Amino acid sequence: MVKRILAIIFILVIGFWIANALAKVPFGEDKMLVGKYYLENVKEQTGAINAVTAVVVNYRGFDTLGEVTVLFIASTGVAALLWRRREERSAEVDGSLILKTGSRVLLPFIMLFGAYIFIHGHLTPGGGFPGGATIATAFLMIYLAYKEYEIDHNLFEPLEGLSGVSYVAVGLIGLAIGGYFLFDWIWQIWEVGDIGRLLSAGFIPIIYTIIGIKVGTELTGIIDRMIKESKEVEG
Amino acid sequence: MTQYASLLIALPLISAFFVPILKKISKKAIMPYLTLITLIQTIIAALVFRDVYTTGNPIIIMAGGFRPPVGINLYIGHFASLFALIIALVSFLMAVFSMRAINIEPKDKYAMLFLLLMLGATGMIATGDIFNLFVFMEITAISAYALTAYNKDAHASEASMKYIILGGIGSSFFLVGVALIYGSLGTLNLADIAQKASLIDPTVAQVALALLIFGLAVEGELFPLNAWAPDAYQAAPHPITTLFSAFVVKASLYAIARIVYLLSSVETWQNILNLLIILGTLTVVIGELSALRQANVKRMIAYSSIAQVGLIAVGFGLGTQAGIDASVFHMVNHAIVKALLFLAVGYVALELGGAEFEKFRGLGKRMPLTAFAITVGAVSVIGIPLFNVFWSKIKLLLAALVAGKTFVVALILGASLVEAVYYIKLIHVMWFFESEKGEENIVLGIIMTLLIAIIVLIGIYPDSLWHFIQEAGRDIFDKAAYIKNVPLLEVVK
Repeated sequence: MVKRILAIIFILVIGFWIANALAKVPFGEDKMLVGKYYLENVKEQTGAINAVTAVVVNYRGFDTLGEVTVLFIASTGVAALLWRRREERSAEVDGSLILKTGSRVLLPFIMLFGAYIFIHGHLTPGGGFPGGATIATAFLMIYLAYKEYEIDHNLFEPLEGLSGVSYVAVGLIGLAIGGYFLFDWIWQIWEVGDIGRLLSAGFIPIIYTIIGIKVGTELTGIIDRMIKESKEVEG
Repeated sequence: MTQYASLLIALPLISAFFVPILKKISKKAIMPYLTLITLIQTIIAALVFRDVYTTGNPIIIMAGGFRPPVGINLYIGHFASLFALIIALVSFLMAVFSMRAINIEPKDKYAMLFLLLMLGATGMIATGDIFNLFVFMEITAISAYALTAYNKDAHASEASMKYIILGGIGSSFFLVGVALIYGSLGTLNLADIAQKASLIDPTVAQVALALLIFGLAVEGELFPLNAWAPDAYQAAPHPITTLFSAFVVKASLYAIARIVYLLSSVETWQNILNLLIILGTLTVVIGELSALRQANVKRMIAYSSIAQVGLIAVGFGLGTQAGIDASVFHMVNHAIVKALLFLAVGYVALELGGAEFEKFRGLGKRMPLTAFAITVGAVSVIGIPLFNVFWSKIKLLLAALVAGKTFVVALILGASLVEAVYYIKLIHVMWFFESEKGEENIVLGIIMTLLIAIIVLIGIYPDSLWHFIQEAGRDIFDKAAYIKNVPLLEVVK
């Protein structure tokens, strides 16, 4: 009991201390000069209508490469820790008729929608991460509906690696052509595409397609590892 | 054409992504592949190091070709190039050790996580953007969680769980700290933050810096956020323990020092330095006292490693150029010595099935070279002349005297005394008991001999290295040069 009270007091002190600092952070003032710069120059410099995407893939593309890596580590880590010689699905019955039929009807549309989200990342809200997550949802649904369903790891793992390799390769092509790592040579040197059309924004659609495939395969892989159970005898 | 230095980031990344494809081609090739990649990384790091030290100018990498603060830049200065080389070299040696030490599947995942851990630490010391620092910190931390639990036994899972919880708390502290700074200055670029440091409210700066320090202190193993470290060091695969001690912890300490010194024009700066000194001192005291009572040698050396980290933090807290130089020197020396110690102890644990004190009884007869390596490492850590750590301890002592912090002198001497007690106990156990003869691995023997040679060489000729260390120290201390070297874009209203 004393311990709990002490903990509460401790939290209150820290909270007060942080709140005190927060009160002194200027609020509502126009300090975001970098943000303004993005808004004013985004079309000319990146060719993207969606400024958020341009910031994510172009201006701060290095962070995005890092985030993709973080997800890759998470999926690799799960695979490393749940690694077993043999593993099987443990569900005993299939999903209901409604779930089974529904998932079959919806599957292509969900996938198509996922692909639509990442291909149009530079024009509409969305991009590689939500697009990939949408595709993984389609697989999750099949896992829930059918008890025997399994993805083919021999296909998914190399595909995941290949999309990662392609992302870095795109960055290295930028280094070779434009002189900077992750340089958008398609827009800034070749000047391909019209702003606002599907074919625009340089390498953003390419990178988002890569990210979409990568996130989709990674999340599906995690679902697969988590849903299966070991059939190996302990010891 | 200095942008090739971005390969330091691109190479481990593309190589890690390539592993799943390589696995389809040949499973046996994975561990040699890991060694090869770390070797190439070492060569690139050596080229970058040569470039930076001969020209005297840092390499600024602008990702995407956008000038900071609009884009993200890497700042590979004297410190970063020196440490990128150490990271790559230690990784290479440990990749060789891994070929023997790692027998648990799935090795392909191990190789990926190993490369990404190396990438994360390299990125942390190279980046010039505070949010990018967070991203690299996450990369380092998450691969470290997974690698800690890699052995998949109960201890490893528990250690990893502790690490994840503390790491998560640390990350959120760090993020809140970044938010406070971004809210005040509207920029994430470190050079830009340093330039505008005087505009930030002193209270906000103090809270933000404290939060950033606490956030980094988890990886940096500073008390009270280092509870995960002894368990993780003991449970992780041996090569990984070495990586933790040699550079993962150093990258975080560097990040603390970099951020703190860039904001040195803040009024409340002295409080932050005091915080660093207090945290460092507590880390030393608790680390050394805990090391005394350990029955497991690997765990004992882990505590000793934590204590050394505390000394480095104290050096950074002195607030002088001499203090930073001494800390950087200690970082380098400690990286070499602990690489040797963990390698040797890990090798013994591998051969004899455990790292308890009894296993080391009569090791001098059974594995003479390994025992000799542990002895050299131990003697060096204690701070005996003719070995490298002696010099960094002396420099730290002198720096503390000049800065007028006499209690730090007492702290260093006291720590060395306690270290002498437990390391001499280990040396005694190894050399003064009988045991049957055994065999030793030649490749590991060569690596250990190499590290011993480096330790003694630095011990006898410290001046040759000291020149590089001073450059690296100035890189952290000289804020004006840092701002000047980054080609900031003037973003005006």
